[in-house]
Amino acid sequence: MLLSDVALVAVGGGVGSLLRWSVGKLFAGTGAGGIPWSTIVINITGAFAIGYLSVLFSVEWHDRYGTFLKSAILTGVLGGYTTFSTMELDTAKMFRAGGVSKAAFYIIGQLAVGIAAAGLGAELARAGG
Amino acid sequence: MRAIALVFVGGAVGAVIRELLMLGVPTARDGFVGSIFIANIVAAFILGVVTGLHSRKVIGTNGNLLLGTGLTGGMSTFSSLVYATFVLLAGSAADFRVGLLYVGANLVVGFMLVLAGLKIGEAIGGKNLPG
Repeated sequence: MLLSDVALVAVGGGVGSLLRWSVGKLFAGTGAGGIPWSTIVINITGAFAIGYLSVLFSVEWHDRYGTFLKSAILTGVLGGYTTFSTMELDTAKMFRAGGVSKAAFYIIGQLAVGIAAAGLGAELARAGG
Repeated sequence: MRAIALVFVGGAVGAVIRELLMLGVPTARDGFVGSIFIANIVAAFILGVVTGLHSRKVIGTNGNLLLGTGLTGGMSTFSSLVYATFVLLAGSAADFRVGLLYVGANLVVGFMLVLAGLKIGEAIGGKNLPG
């Protein structure tokens, strides 16, 4: 492990987090129907991007170390940009407010669409898009 | 300006913690990515605590930006989770099962921990409810 890889992850993580924060402010919290659209938009776009870029960078999904692109962009920016914790917090808030099916639909739906988006991104890159 | 610095620093530290976990925790032979699982559930717990504390005014906006938006947002990752799950689901029958287990474990344990974190943060803050 090189110190430079960690530094790249740090900067990428900071940048990705700032991007996430900016998008969050654009959506100004929950939107129509109390749905946290900012979390959804951030996570789904990030999922598509990681699928696409991982194939583009020819990275095995379980091997993330060693190059600028992997450290800075995949682990750093996309890891900092997307957020699992916020999605869980959104779900917990819905759950505590009594919206159990809403909470379940939100989190399962977001994960399902995210998996599909990542797959779509990967396939697009594979197809040479 | 300070908000930008807080989110950046928190996010950078969170991402580095996740990276160190990725270096230190090997992916299981069956494909379950333990490092990301740990990063995600720990971040979910911390976000619960931070949110609970913030709701009781134990920490303010700056603390929330640094530790919530920054640290837990940087430490946790949705993209890595769903891409790894996709690859597993698209693999063999055994891979498919691990994929379901992997995403399910993140979801369920993360949910339990964020709830626990909220309760703990609120309990620490006590009755200091926002006016």
